[in-house]
Amino acid sequence: MQPLLDVRELEVKLFTRSGTVTAIDRLSFTVEEKETVALVGESGCGKSMTALAIMGLLPSPPARLTGGEVLLQGRDLARLGDSAMQKVRGRQISMIFQDPMSSLNPVMTIGAQLSEILRRHMGLTGASARKRAIELLAQVRIPDPQRRYDAYPHELSGGMNQRVVIAMAIACEPKLLIADEPTTALDVTIQSQILKLLRDLQLAYGMGIIFITHDLGVVAEMADRAVVMYAGRKIEEAPIDPLFEQPLHPYTRGLIGSTPAAEGRHSRLAEIPGSVPSLRDLPAGCAFSNRCPSVFAACHSERPPLIRPAPERAAACLLVQP
Amino acid sequence: MSGVRIQRFLGLLRAFARNRGAVLGMAIIAAVVIVALAAPLMFNYSPLRIVGRPEQWPFTSWRFPLGTDSLGRDVAAMVVYGARTTLMIGIVASLTATVIGVTVGAVAAYFGGWVDEVLTRITELFQTIPNIIFIMSVVAILGQRMENITIAIGLIMWPQIARLTRAEFMSLRDREFVQACKTMGMGNFRIMAGEILPNALPSVIVLASLVVASAILFEAAVAFLGLGDPNVASWGALIGDGRSLIRTSWYICAIPGFAIMLTVLALNLVGDGLNDALNPRLRDR
Repeated sequence: MQPLLDVRELEVKLFTRSGTVTAIDRLSFTVEEKETVALVGESGCGKSMTALAIMGLLPSPPARLTGGEVLLQGRDLARLGDSAMQKVRGRQISMIFQDPMSSLNPVMTIGAQLSEILRRHMGLTGASARKRAIELLAQVRIPDPQRRYDAYPHELSGGMNQRVVIAMAIACEPKLLIADEPTTALDVTIQSQILKLLRDLQLAYGMGIIFITHDLGVVAEMADRAVVMYAGRKIEEAPIDPLFEQPLHPYTRGLIGSTPAAEGRHSRLAEIPGSVPSLRDLPAGCAFSNRCPSVFAACHSERPPLIRPAPERAAACLLVQP
Repeated sequence: MSGVRIQRFLGLLRAFARNRGAVLGMAIIAAVVIVALAAPLMFNYSPLRIVGRPEQWPFTSWRFPLGTDSLGRDVAAMVVYGARTTLMIGIVASLTATVIGVTVGAVAAYFGGWVDEVLTRITELFQTIPNIIFIMSVVAILGQRMENITIAIGLIMWPQIARLTRAEFMSLRDREFVQACKTMGMGNFRIMAGEILPNALPSVIVLASLVVASAILFEAAVAFLGLGDPNVASWGALIGDGRSLIRTSWYICAIPGFAIMLTVLALNLVGDGLNDALNPRLRDR
């Protein structure tokens, strides 16, 4: 069966004055219906760039899609024209951003923003748009939605605003929802409420979710599968349980080791030394070689291919045996 | 729904009213507007008609409370009718400048790249032209008519509005809500006009109110130099007419001059008040 979203060999390059760099290096992954796939990695590894590439909203210049396909139910979005893509956005794919406060228009009431989408994509008018908007606000569990309809974003809390953003994202019952660090800006308690809300909505609407995060705790709670990215490349992919039980790539092990565990481990958190190298001067061979604890000679010269040691698993490391 | 709206509007009014100067300015402008609207009721003859002996001083006759000018026209009638012209020029010129400026600034900032480059250069080109010389040239070429003067003033005032709009749009363009609008499938025009512009509008409104004041001053300057519309009574024209008699009958210049000063001052006060009321950084939330 064809997957809901099939990203094949996606390649994005940044054309800057000081040269061309590859921001996303032949990335492939799939998302099934009702499935949550997490894109994991440190800042700057290309997670958000991937989301924008799927949406057809790469900041151009400098970014440009230079290869690959983005198949949504078999239709290649990368080849779609601007106006056709506008119909896909919001209607079939929608997106939630990190900071709910700044992803709502500060001078419009949340009701106006919500019903605007309904009018635009669902062809609702006047009273029926308002009625549906209030239903949606109730569905994302905003108390007293009748009254909140006329509130401005600054009159609501961050968690409430994120609920509004989610209501806007699901207003047209999209097939795919891209959530770009949707809980990073929120308190921990609100965070888990929002995650639960997203899971419930996924059950209700049956949409696929791409969940972008650097927080492995959230990944464990939310995702079915995870794609770990490093310097624009997929370096490991696995279903959640095997990923945490037996990570293959040293980078994934590092990420898991640097996540605080719930059951009061008092030892010092392990850290990955150094930081993500600039795309401009990636080390030769494996991009992770300058930070890797298990590095050996071949890592500096040979670029590890992506191999599949088990069904549903993939890793790009010379230490992994096929 | 409307209850909330009215409450917010009252809040805005309160913020405006907290500034005493702004209320005074508003009162002066309201008075000028009423006088301008009521002009035909107060004087049922053309202000340009010669109605009496020339150079009668103010407060010397019941018929001409503000005296007569060098030709024997009623100064009071000219001031009252002049208010219409002055307001009309100020508002239309400011509107012209705002429409051009907002369009240019918004397009430049939103699309960036070479579009921005070209539009910014054009804006700068207009800024380098000496204002009064540009207006005089346009009027000299197109003729001394009110429409031409108004358009000329509008054409010279838009760059400052364009620059402000561009700066506002630049900072708003990269905000996440604009990105969010794009992910919802909104088009560029829709985002510019429906989403970003309402955010930029407060500062533009404040500047536009100040542009009305400058436009009035420009009209006065042009009329003073004798390039005004000879068929229309305006405050500037009256000053221009009186300038040769300034040693003997200085009231002919002083009365319309005072009217201009008062109106421009009032507009500036209102601009300040609007800034206090509309600027979200100053308004307590």
